[in-house]
Amino acid sequence: MSSVLLVTGGGGVGKTTLSAALAVTAARNGVRTLVVTVDPARRLATALGLKHLGSEPSPHNDEANLWAAMLDASASWKAIARRHASADVASRLVDNPFFEAAAQHFPASQSYASAEEMANFVEARAWDLVVVDTPPSAGGIEFFSAPAEMRDLVGGRLLRWLTGGGLPGRRALFRLTARPALRVAGTVLGSDLLERVAEFLMDLRTTYDGLARRAAQIEEHFREARTVVIATADPAPLREAARFYRDLPDMVPRPDAVVFNRVLPADWHNPEPPADGALVDNLVRWGAEAHRQTEVRQEFAALWKTEVATVPWRPKTPTSLDDLAALITDAHGLPLEGLGVALR
Amino acid sequence: MLERRLIIVTGKGGVGRSAVSAALALRAVHLGKRVLTVAMTDDLGLALHLGRERLDYDAREIRPGLHALAVHRPAALDEYLKVQLGVPGVTRMGPLARAFDALASTAPGVREVITMGKVLWEVRKGTWDLVIADGPPLGQIGSHLRAPLTVSELVPVGRVREQAGWMMDLLRDPSVSGMLLATLAEELPTTETKEALTWLEEHHVMERPLVAANRTLPPLQVTGRKIKEAGPGPLRDAARLHQALYEEQQRWMKELPPDVQLPYLFGLHTPPEVAARLADVWGEG
Repeated sequence: MSSVLLVTGGGGVGKTTLSAALAVTAARNGVRTLVVTVDPARRLATALGLKHLGSEPSPHNDEANLWAAMLDASASWKAIARRHASADVASRLVDNPFFEAAAQHFPASQSYASAEEMANFVEARAWDLVVVDTPPSAGGIEFFSAPAEMRDLVGGRLLRWLTGGGLPGRRALFRLTARPALRVAGTVLGSDLLERVAEFLMDLRTTYDGLARRAAQIEEHFREARTVVIATADPAPLREAARFYRDLPDMVPRPDAVVFNRVLPADWHNPEPPADGALVDNLVRWGAEAHRQTEVRQEFAALWKTEVATVPWRPKTPTSLDDLAALITDAHGLPLEGLGVALR
Repeated sequence: MLERRLIIVTGKGGVGRSAVSAALALRAVHLGKRVLTVAMTDDLGLALHLGRERLDYDAREIRPGLHALAVHRPAALDEYLKVQLGVPGVTRMGPLARAFDALASTAPGVREVITMGKVLWEVRKGTWDLVIADGPPLGQIGSHLRAPLTVSELVPVGRVREQAGWMMDLLRDPSVSGMLLATLAEELPTTETKEALTWLEEHHVMERPLVAANRTLPPLQVTGRKIKEAGPGPLRDAARLHQALYEEQQRWMKELPPDVQLPYLFGLHTPPEVAARLADVWGEG
């Protein structure tokens, strides 16, 4: 079985770039590595210098131990229906107008679809390491709780809500809508909408056994995975990162590393003797920012009793394998062996 | 922009949507307006920029002239049923509320129409001069704006459909509703913002939004030779970083020329500080 490295964090922190950088580093250390990202995958393709990135892992032409793939979550959702439901139910589900909506509305469903794909790659045993750039919409924790959420959804939480108790058979559904309260709902909604929703949920429910089994396996992968949380010194990414240290659900492992990206040199806040007014002004401004960053990192480390690693701020997004590898070489405090990126 | 009755602020995650919303609200209050800010999805970002831990469903006064609330379900659902659909005693109608909740999680547009409904209801009530909605992230803005229409397509008759009509009218009226797209002069935010602009143009549910590029850098008024002469060390490194970032930003702003540029705020610590400074900048034009 491959080991798994989950790269998580809020939007815009450079998660995809650092996933690629860690994967390139691992490959160069002789670890057979697959890096997967979720759609939109343009960033990963650009970073790795690839023109095209498909849902099947393809080997990288210029790096012997590196493979890459992207996950199309909406296609995966249809695959889930086909995998876990009988053929006729599956096609009825996929054609149902509620299906698309449910797939979009449940943040868990997109994450779960990605997680199932991830599990397939892990179990293929073709790689030593699978690096997962987790879904941006999930931001963080939701990726880990997605299997449980999906099990709950498909298992009939909504259906029970809808019916106010037990899970009815298909025929009972029509008796059900004769209830006064649901008749009011019918008036308000103006149609047989509730019945259509209930029917959809009942179809969905037939996927339960298969899905529940798979969800348990995925959670097992999560427990064994290593995780790295990427943050920057900005408020939103910091909040996302902090969630990994607070009220952690038991299927989520404590992060193996928290990495601050776009870090300025700590010694910038002592301007040198003036050379040119504008140059000094500029250093004073960036020095203030460097100072703030240092304080934010120290606060985070003290509050959550953790080490923090840093990756220096590079003005240009890397577009070559060497640029990517350099990001990790220039990083401080990254436990590469612990993350499975370097061999012990 | 601030002459409207409603401004919806949206943008890709991490571009500073809540900061911009809070700043606009502070600016409008400064101009003597009675302002309500609404957190449409996640309330934490807006709360922090207003100096609060969290926001309630009921509008609370943050400071004179400024109120804030967060659209929490199921409170929003309750109010939607009661006020907009005229279904009384919802608490006694457990199954109905449950049915709606199931529906809101499954049927396209229903969850969004409840959220949009709350915002537009606050506009319609007339209590406020201006409602500023800290909107959903860019990826969800389309489904929110289109929600009233989606619901009326889904529900052929009935009260829900009737409600959709006035909502669409309010959104479409450029003298009432405006939108601000916050972005960063970087690759992904630029690409996604352009996609959103195209979507908005095709669906004309609202007037073309104003694009605000956040965290833009000022030009460094130094020649390349001067930078070179500074020799190795922080002075030169900081200048080179600034130059490279500045050029990168200019490149993306050429790709998508913003209507408004908001500055990078160096070394500012707390969210309320950031909001206050951005509000001042907005005031300076």
